This record gives sequence, C-alpha cells and structure tokens, in this order.
Amino acid sequence: MADDGSASNRRDPIKSSVGNVAGQRRRQQAVTVAKERRELLVRAKRLCRVGTNGGDEDARVENEMMIDEEQPVLEAQTVKAVEELKSAVQSQGKGAMQKRVTALRELRRLLSKSEFPPIDAALSAGAVPLLVQCLSFGSPDEQLLESAWCLTNIAAGKPEETKALLPALPLLIAHLGEKSSAPVAEQCAWAIGNVAGEGEELRNVLLSQGALPPLARMIFPDKGSTVRTAAWALSNLIKGPESKAAAQLVRADGIVDAILRHLKKTDEEIATEIAWIVVYLSALSDIATSMLLKGGILQLLVERLATSNSLQLLIPVLRSLGNFVSVDPKAMLTILVGGQNTEENVINVLAKCLRSEHRVLKKEAAWVLSNIAAGSIEHKRMIHSSEAMPLLLRLLSTSPFDIKKEVAYVLGNLCVESAEGGDARPRIIQEHLVSIVSGGCLRGFIDLVRSPDIEAARLGLQFIELVLRGMPNGEGSKLVEGEDGIDAMERFQFHENEELRVMANSLVDKYFGEDYGIDE
Amino acid sequence: MAMGMAVGELGFPYWNPLRRRFPPDSPFFASGNVERELLAKQVALDFTEDEITNLQTIVETESRRISCPIVGCPERLKSLDNFEDHYKTRHTASCSVCSRVYPTSRLLSIHISEAHDSFFQAKVARGYDMYECLVEGCGLKFKSYKARHRHLIDKHKFPTTFEFFKRTQLSKKRREKLQRQRVPKLKHEEDKEEASSDAMEVEDKASLDGLVSALSTLTTSDTTPSNVSFGRRHGRGLTFVPRSVHREKPTNSSSTPGSKT
Repeated sequence: MADDGSASNRRDPIKSSVGNVAGQRRRQQAVTVAKERRELLVRAKRLCRVGTNGGDEDARVENEMMIDEEQPVLEAQTVKAVEELKSAVQSQGKGAMQKRVTALRELRRLLSKSEFPPIDAALSAGAVPLLVQCLSFGSPDEQLLESAWCLTNIAAGKPEETKALLPALPLLIAHLGEKSSAPVAEQCAWAIGNVAGEGEELRNVLLSQGALPPLARMIFPDKGSTVRTAAWALSNLIKGPESKAAAQLVRADGIVDAILRHLKKTDEEIATEIAWIVVYLSALSDIATSMLLKGGILQLLVERLATSNSLQLLIPVLRSLGNFVSVDPKAMLTILVGGQNTEENVINVLAKCLRSEHRVLKKEAAWVLSNIAAGSIEHKRMIHSSEAMPLLLRLLSTSPFDIKKEVAYVLGNLCVESAEGGDARPRIIQEHLVSIVSGGCLRGFIDLVRSPDIEAARLGLQFIELVLRGMPNGEGSKLVEGEDGIDAMERFQFHENEELRVMANSLVDKYFGEDYGIDE
Repeated sequence: MAMGMAVGELGFPYWNPLRRRFPPDSPFFASGNVERELLAKQVALDFTEDEITNLQTIVETESRRISCPIVGCPERLKSLDNFEDHYKTRHTASCSVCSRVYPTSRLLSIHISEAHDSFFQAKVARGYDMYECLVEGCGLKFKSYKARHRHLIDKHKFPTTFEFFKRTQLSKKRREKLQRQRVPKLKHEEDKEEASSDAMEVEDKASLDGLVSALSTLTTSDTTPSNVSFGRRHGRGLTFVPRSVHREKPTNSSSTPGSKT
C-alpha cells in the first residue's frame, strides 16, 4: 500500500502482539532488506506481513522473529506445514475445523516471516489445492482469512508463483461479495491485487472471471483499510496498457462519484490509491476523462498538490493532472471558465513541485507545464509571469539531464506561438524569447546540443534557431557565438545522425556564413 | 545583420509547440513508478512507536468480548465493529434450509433455487435453461448443472476442480437414516452427484448438503424457502423442513422461526 513510510501496511496496526525488541529487530532487518530491494523494484505485489484481521496472534510471534533463519530449514518447515494442512483438510468430525485453522495459521506464519518466503517449497508440496478447498463457501471466517493470507503471499512471489493462484481465483473473487466479512473481503482483495500486479495475462483472466465489479463496490465506503486495499487492487487491475478494464470500471454505477468524493476528502493513504486509479483512467479511457473533468477533478487535484507533502500521493496526483492536460486542451479552458484563480493555482502548484527536492516531481511538473505552454497565448503569458519562471531558468542550468529536457520544452514552447494548421514556420513571441534569453538560458540549451541524447540535441538546435531568427537587431548570432554555440554546432558536421547534421549545418551556413562578422 | 541566403531552409524542423502525451507504461514514467514500489515495500517491515503502544492497549481489551445475541450462535466478538461484521456474514446471507453461507446475496439466491426449490427443478425437468452463470454480468443460463460447470471452465477459465455445489460427508448414522427414507430420484437428479452415498459432518457449521439434496427430490407443498434466517445452525437441525419429511424426528426444532417469503 502506498504510505509515506510512517503508517503501516496493516489495516489495524494493532493486531500483532510484537513488542519493542521485535520492533527494533524489524527495523534492522528493514535496513538489510533495503539493499536487496533492487531486484524487487518493479514488483507491483505486496507481501502481507500482518493480516487484515490480526485475530488471535499470540506472543509466540515474538520468539519466532527469525532474521538469520536458514532458508532450507524454513523450507522444510513449510513442507511439513503443508502436510499438516492436508491431513487437516481431510479430517472430519469434532475438532476438524480447529485443526484446519491451526494448520493454516502455521503455514501462514511461515509464509509471512521473511522478505523471501518459502513459496516454492509450499507450491511443490501442493499447498494451493488445499488452500482452495479451505476457501469453500460457508467456511468459518478465520479459515477463509488464513487461507486468503497464504495465497496473498504466494502471489507476491515470482511470476510463475503468482500464476499458481489460478485455481483459487473464482473463490477469491466470490468472497469479495458484500456479505463477506470485511477482513476476509479485504484479504481476498489483497491476493487478487497481487495477481493483477503480475501482468496483463493474469489481469485478463481476472476480468473474465468478473473480478472488477465487486472490487469497484468495495471502494464506496468513506474510509477503512478495506477501501484502501481494494483501491490498490483495482489500480493494478486497470493499469493496462489495454484499455478494456478501465472502460469497464467507468461503467460501474457511481464509481466516478466515489472517486471524486475520495479525492476531495479522504485521508492521504486512500487518496493515493484512488489517484493511481485516476492516472490509469485518464490515460486509457476518454469517457472517464470527460466524466471526471465534468465532475471537477482538476480543482481537486490542484488542492491535493497544494496541501500535501506526501510524495506517494503527489506523484499520481501530478501525473493525473498531466494526463488531463495532455489529452484535452479544453480541460485547460474549463479551468479558465472556473475563474482565473484556479488557473493561477494550477501554475503555482506546479511551481511548488518544481521547488521540491524530488526528482520525479520536478520532471513531471515540467512536463505538465510544457503542455500548458503549448496552449494558448494566455496560458503562455500566465506561465511567463508566474513564480515558475525563475525556477525553470535555474533548473535548466543545474538539474539532472531528464529534468533539464522537460524544462527545455517549457521554455521553448513559451517562445513560440502554437501553429494553426500547416504554417510553415510558427511565429516567435519575441517578448518571451528576449526575456528568457536574458535570463541566461542559452548556455543550458547549447549544453543540450552537446548531449548524446538525440532528442535533446534536436531541442537545443531548434532553440538556437529561434534565437538566431527571433532576437531583435540580429543579436542572436553574437549571443550564440558567445556561448560557444558555433563550436557545439560544428561538432555535428560529421555526426552520424543525418537530421542533426543537416540541421546544424544549415544553421551554421545561414547565420555564420562567409558574411558573418563582416558588417561590424 | 542581413543574411544573404534566402529563407528557403526547406526541411529545418522549426520549433513547434506540441502537447506530448505518454501511455501509462511509457518509460517516461518509469522513475515515478519505481518510487511507488520503493516506498510501498519499505513499509512492510516497520512498526512505528505509536503502533507498539497501541499493541499494548489492545491486549488489555482482549478479554472484553460481546456474545452474539442470535440464539444458537456461539460467537464472541471483540468489538461492536467485529460484531457487525459477524452479523452481516453469518446472519444475513445464510441459507435457511441448509445453513450454507454465501458471500453475496446473488450467490445465495442461486444456491437456494438450485438446491431447495422444487419449482426450479420442475422447470429444469421441462427443459428450461435454469442454471445461471455464476459470473456477474455474464447472463447466460444452462439446462444442467454440468453444462453450466463446463461454461465456467471454458468461458471464464474457472479451474476444473471448482464446485459450486459441494457435497460433504454425512456421518454413518445419518447415512443409514437417509437410506431408509430414500425416494426414487427424478430424472434431472442425474446431473447432481449421488446424494445418498454422502455422509454428513454434523458438527461442521454448514454441511447439510447431502441431506438437503435428498430432501429436494421430495415434493413439498410449501414454496420458496426464505432468504433470511435467524439462528445459526450447526448441522443439527433444520429451521425449515418440508412437510413430507416430518416423519423423521427433527433433532432440534429451531427456537426462532425463519421468516418465509
């Protein structure tokens, strides 16, 4: 689940009776695990360490905090636990139910201890069919919960391990029903979320088995950890790149209202998951985009950006804003209609992101600004006269390459009118060009020309052309020369990329030809 | 400074402001996505100070529990929230005939029709498509349990081991009792598994399938069983017993009558 690091993954942080010592050990382990994190980077799946309902965790858990447990020992214990479960499932008569729950619990503990649970051992021992049996309708909640928990953590493993959950999916989906107890439904949603996070193939299976409608219903309540887990699972389910899941979601009755409601009021943890849902909806469904815009989502996104400091929340909110702006030029107009304050707020809020220390926020905020700057003259003027300008100029000189490129787009877009139809040469807005150049951006663009990235070099050359063409009194050439621009361009003389070679050469020929310097 | 050359720089790609849009899986967003995963993973192992203190409080409240007021239900819940949950699960979506509990009203009503409704069986016998697909939104119906089962597997990729209507084991005693009361099965019963060979686990909370399916072959003068039942049954008795079976002594007549629709 998305958190800003302070709250936990668990719905009810209370549920596991782990004392102070264990807490410390876990912190140490967190540090060790951080180093192993690299291989887990792209995982969209989440291990369930403490379940949604906690239940009757006893103090034994504390003693079982094995940090240095040998993997083989763990695996052997797992195999044993699965065998216990097998016999428990087959047994009947008095005490059979308790036996099952105990066996499940043991297996679940083994699967929740370390960052690398013995999933393979459990699978080879035949855990999944047994766990599926334990999910049958009418089973006691504890049994359902433990079984779903085991399945959750199995699904958090490697792709083939996640796929092993296929037989369990129909029952997991069924237990999302409105009559299931909340912790059970939530744990099932968690397992399903892990499966959905694996890949498109599994997502399609889940969709065809009807996973989406019950999950969508689970996000209607105002709060609760169930809402958060379900929203996270939903975001995994619709992330695409195929758009059909997103299209199906937007058809769910009341879903747009629920999303807007959550974005407006809910705590940051739930809002984060909802924001990711908005990211995918805005990227994949035109219908969703227009419904959300009509519902006033831009204002809500702006408010979140303005008030939150949680990186986890800011990223998807910013990206949603970017998606809306990039898709619908009229979206910007709707803000205009809403009142000029809103528009300034958008730009101010983006400026706040530019000021952030987080690389992602800076880069994506610049991207959003570049799209706004590709709009009308009014929008360009608004950005140009805002507090974002000095930030952008500074970032062009100082920031890492990927941010620099986005900033370049903003600045260049500010200086040129957006061409209507097939204009041969879009017109330069001299006022902006002059002010930006005198702000000292030329050096940054010439640096881009020198970079190995083709797109960046192209941008740099294009901007140089603007300067050469658009600066008054022909000052452009001198300025470019002053910043070693000629040198940078001449490097392309024999460059392997033909387009860049031609561009650079034509500029040099035109503006620094034989006549250059003669008229002084 | 006049440039001698003509403006005909054909092919120079002038700066043209364009909106740039990226699909959600574009590498452009990769670094942002990584942040999401990193921050999410980190959380799984940490407890904050607050949570540890909270842990201690909860241990104290452990002993105070609420007994479920529904007659016959032995549950003791930790809190009002838990009780609400429990009530929702156990006392609102359970079948009044056989106690089975379902996670949605829809599945419950499908179960009731298929397992306890002789009218349903009558329609099946006449060849109507009565068995609904279990996946919400599919809408298809089938003439037999098996056909629907096949559809679930073929169309919706359910695993072959999935069984909506599961048999459970009756105890030997029950089995013998059933044998004595067996009524010849109707034709459509062939699709369902053998009822009489199953034993029933009496203490299991929801396991009257065997008895029930035998019962459903009997004619009843009452119609649809109710959707709502009060009282948790533990396999020891029936709140609703079709009249024709009354010659068997009910082991536990329910203390609260289920409401009938």
